[in-house]
Amino acid sequence: MARKIILDLEGETATATMLEKFAPLTCEAVWNILPVEGRAIHANWSGREIMLHLEGEKLLRIPSERRLRSHFVAPGDIVYYWRDAQLSRGKQLAYSSQFQRELSEFAIFYGDPCGEGLEADDPSRQLRQVSLTSHTKFASLDKPIPEGFLKKCEANRHEGLKRLVVSRFEK
Amino acid sequence: MKFVSLKLRLQLGKVEGVIELYEDDAPQTAKLLQELLPIEKKARHAMECGREVYVILDDEVEIPDENQTIYQTVGDVVMYYKPAIFIDPEWPDYYNERPVLGWVYERDTAIRGISAPLATNVVGKIVSGLDLLRVEAPRMRREGFASMRLSLL
Repeated sequence: MARKIILDLEGETATATMLEKFAPLTCEAVWNILPVEGRAIHANWSGREIMLHLEGEKLLRIPSERRLRSHFVAPGDIVYYWRDAQLSRGKQLAYSSQFQRELSEFAIFYGDPCGEGLEADDPSRQLRQVSLTSHTKFASLDKPIPEGFLKKCEANRHEGLKRLVVSRFEK
Repeated sequence: MKFVSLKLRLQLGKVEGVIELYEDDAPQTAKLLQELLPIEKKARHAMECGREVYVILDDEVEIPDENQTIYQTVGDVVMYYKPAIFIDPEWPDYYNERPVLGWVYERDTAIRGISAPLATNVVGKIVSGLDLLRVEAPRMRREGFASMRLSLL
């Protein structure tokens, strides 16, 4: 029985199935830190994606488990992403205090467009800096993704940060 | 050659800046923009191309191809057609793109379409207040977007 997680974005929920066959280390590490909560922020490079930064003792440092030949992602994909503090030094002045540090996050792709060609344009996510970043898709939102959850993700773009809680989903 | 460029006031939330119009390099677009003033609409932040704030213009606005670039720089004020899917997840079938007025407040921004860079009309430059705007825009990204207003100075 595959492990499942549940995402609660200000009262709107969606479940996701963990991809333990493909990303066992990442799934285990993520499972062990749940529940995780924080304020989700919407992407401004990679399309319909919200991000939850992992802070303090919840911060994860896990190497990529599968070779990524492209940045292809699809709606519903949940990707673990880690970025070294060195990666964006001196850039993104408006976010300097937040972004000039090590970053570990869940990237939750909830709709089109996302992924190929778009995320690839984000300088801090380009694959050539392989030693400074890692990415692993570790879960996928169960389909159909609830409409209320999708609308709440979209509202994140316009209304600002929203509380997101990611927990184990155990019936 | 004009010796005094037309200036506009750009207000975003609690701060404002000044835009100098490129009446010589983009005469048609500058004229179009003047005719649309004052503009007051809900501000939006790009989700696909970096540090860009924009407003959606009325659908009847027709933007000519003029003074275009795919290499936007900090402070550029641009008019172009943005793919509708970057604006709303659902839109009427007859809209594939919408006319927008935007400005770039940070490095690394690259306005793009679905699969390639987009040519944008550079209609002016933010000549003052950018230091405030580049703080206000990410603040609104965290706390919610209010309206953007553009008017003659």
